[in-house]
Amino acid sequence: MDQQTTNTVEEPLDLIRLSLDERIYVKMRNDRELRGRLHAYDQHLNMILGDVEETVTTIEIDEETYEEIYKSTKRNIPMLFVRGDGVVLVAPPLRVG
Amino acid sequence: MSLRKQTPSDFLKQIIGRPVVVKLNSGVDYRGVLACLDGYMNIALEQTEEYVNGQLKNKYGDAFIRGNNGRPR
Repeated sequence: MDQQTTNTVEEPLDLIRLSLDERIYVKMRNDRELRGRLHAYDQHLNMILGDVEETVTTIEIDEETYEEIYKSTKRNIPMLFVRGDGVVLVAPPLRVG
Repeated sequence: MSLRKQTPSDFLKQIIGRPVVVKLNSGVDYRGVLACLDGYMNIALEQTEEYVNGQLKNKYGDAFIRGNNGRPR
């Protein structure tokens, strides 16, 4: 694939570079979300995140009422390597409203 | 839209700046303005809204989508 030099149109990865050392929100496969500080990334979207909160969301279906029960499990991790093939989306942290 | 033959990179230059819908293999839709994309189909969107069945989350500013997620397995 052609690599673009820095004096042409920026790639999406160049714009991620602007988020370095900022807090970001990462949506991953398997209904996982991460919120942490972006220390490093590469073209595969492998990332080093610091001070991370991981949220795993599961949906349970009640056998009798068939209602969907959303459950989320959170854990905190001081420093984390994220393998890029699990990443779906990267954005600044969500703002409410 | 012209019907003449164009290379994929010409097409990619044409659609930058337009509102688009990005459908992922997970069934989630992202609607926003296409800021840029690259040859791996990594995408940067502005003013993005995320739709799963109904509307779930609003993302303002830039949202980056990894290029491999556009096709169901």
